Amino acid sequence: MKMPEKAAVPQPEELDREFYRATVAAGALCMQHCNQCGTWTHPARYYCPHCSSDEFSFDRVSGDARVYSYTVSHATAESAWKDLVPYITIVAELAEGPRIVAAADGFKPDAVAIGQRLRIVTENKSEDFAFFWAQLADGSSP
Amino acid sequence: MSAFNVSGKAAIVGIAETDYLRGTEQSILQMILSASMGAIRDAGLKPSDVDAILPPPGFVAWDEIAAHLGVPNVRYTVCPQMGGASATASLRTASMAIATGAADVVLMTVGWNGYSAIRPRPDARPNKRRFNAAFFETVKNYYAPYGLRSAPWWYSLYLERYAKHYSVPPEAAGAIAVACRKHAQLNPKALMRDRPLTMEEYLASPYITEPLRKLDCCVETDCAAAVVMTSVERARDLPHIPVTFLGGAEGHPNRPDELINRKDVLDLGLDLAAPRAFAMSGVTKDDMDFLQIYDCFTYVALLEIEALGYAERGGAAEFVKNGNIELGGKFPMNTHGGLMSQGHCWGMNHIVEAARQLRHEAGAAQVRNCELGLVTGYGDLGDGSIAILGRGVR
Repeated sequence: MKMPEKAAVPQPEELDREFYRATVAAGALCMQHCNQCGTWTHPARYYCPHCSSDEFSFDRVSGDARVYSYTVSHATAESAWKDLVPYITIVAELAEGPRIVAAADGFKPDAVAIGQRLRIVTENKSEDFAFFWAQLADGSSP
Repeated sequence: MSAFNVSGKAAIVGIAETDYLRGTEQSILQMILSASMGAIRDAGLKPSDVDAILPPPGFVAWDEIAAHLGVPNVRYTVCPQMGGASATASLRTASMAIATGAADVVLMTVGWNGYSAIRPRPDARPNKRRFNAAFFETVKNYYAPYGLRSAPWWYSLYLERYAKHYSVPPEAAGAIAVACRKHAQLNPKALMRDRPLTMEEYLASPYITEPLRKLDCCVETDCAAAVVMTSVERARDLPHIPVTFLGGAEGHPNRPDELINRKDVLDLGLDLAAPRAFAMSGVTKDDMDFLQIYDCFTYVALLEIEALGYAERGGAAEFVKNGNIELGGKFPMNTHGGLMSQGHCWGMNHIVEAARQLRHEAGAAQVRNCELGLVTGYGDLGDGSIAILGRGVR
């Protein structure tokens, strides 16, 4: 699967750009990681929501996740996705805690369910942006 | 330090709204000025009596409103930045300004070309007026790349969890849509007047993005509305029976600029605001004669009903059954048709309707002998607000 060709690639700024740049460079999902208390935060913040530290790095996460929520879109206001309906978008809860939005890769519309185990993989689109795919983890029933 | 009590100090004395249209020759500024002048005149006042302006959270600024209306001496202005929660939140802000003497007569207004200018339409007139919010960065960087372009798609990210986790039947959302449409039949200004809706038709409505069907979404309209508040002392000398502010609050989910990383994504700002507002007001949820609930989407209204305490989380389906939220039921809701069927005026139309009800001027939709009612707001990814209003000076 590929991010739709015509879809606009965002040009993030500030910490969002740092987050994406780390992820693009690693070729895998990275998350803001507090150097003081170890809290993982997404989207990234200038102060840790747990301990208020401003010292952090963007570290690679496991990529293990579960379906926290999702939506099946039967219509869209986004022209790049018009030919792709119905498409599934997943809110994936990472093993490390934060949740991200990801496109479902290889799901059937009626076979997605809260709690399913996922793998998150990234698709680099620019130096400043990677697209996220949610795939069913091995052993998770489709 | 004990809280300064704002309850019972200020009242809504003037209300006005434009028609709810799909396509208009009027600019946003013209509609806002028309509603504002209407509310000032309805209050029996002149623009020169106004000394505070709370403008909408976008499109039009307080200074151009003052300049066009001819308000010579603005002593106080503040802009609540919380989308659809702004209008109801401003009732408390205005009451605080009046109770402390910072202002005497406060004008609040909202309006937009919600139909003509939000999405490109062939017949749309050029429009430079913009609404901007901090969460647009979140949308741009994390939601829009996935085909989630506007409110139904963002909110479905958490509403589907609500629907699935609590097995919310579609008929519960349908009950909101049907009640609003039923009430719109009684409102000469409702966009969906003369278009009644049955539960069967609701259930046959196609999905936009699950759990939201087309008929779970409010109607895009061009419109504006305004209200004027002053002290209860001054209100006694004005033409209409005052509609007194008894309690109100705003609340914001943590974190407010993002939707999916909250501890519980179903927590609304209203969960925090509602208990504060009832405590301030000295009345309870069971005393309410009507509910004007911010209904951008039916499922959001269900969550608000739960946040207000009328049902446990996930349990609003029981509350909305059997006509309980329709005129003639125990808690008639959105007696003007709401955002769902009157039109989307950022909830200022809910405030106008609440005031009309408490003046006993609601015509065919009048809740007989009503004395107390509430209004809620919801916006910008979950900000919440509430105001509890009463008939007359209490």
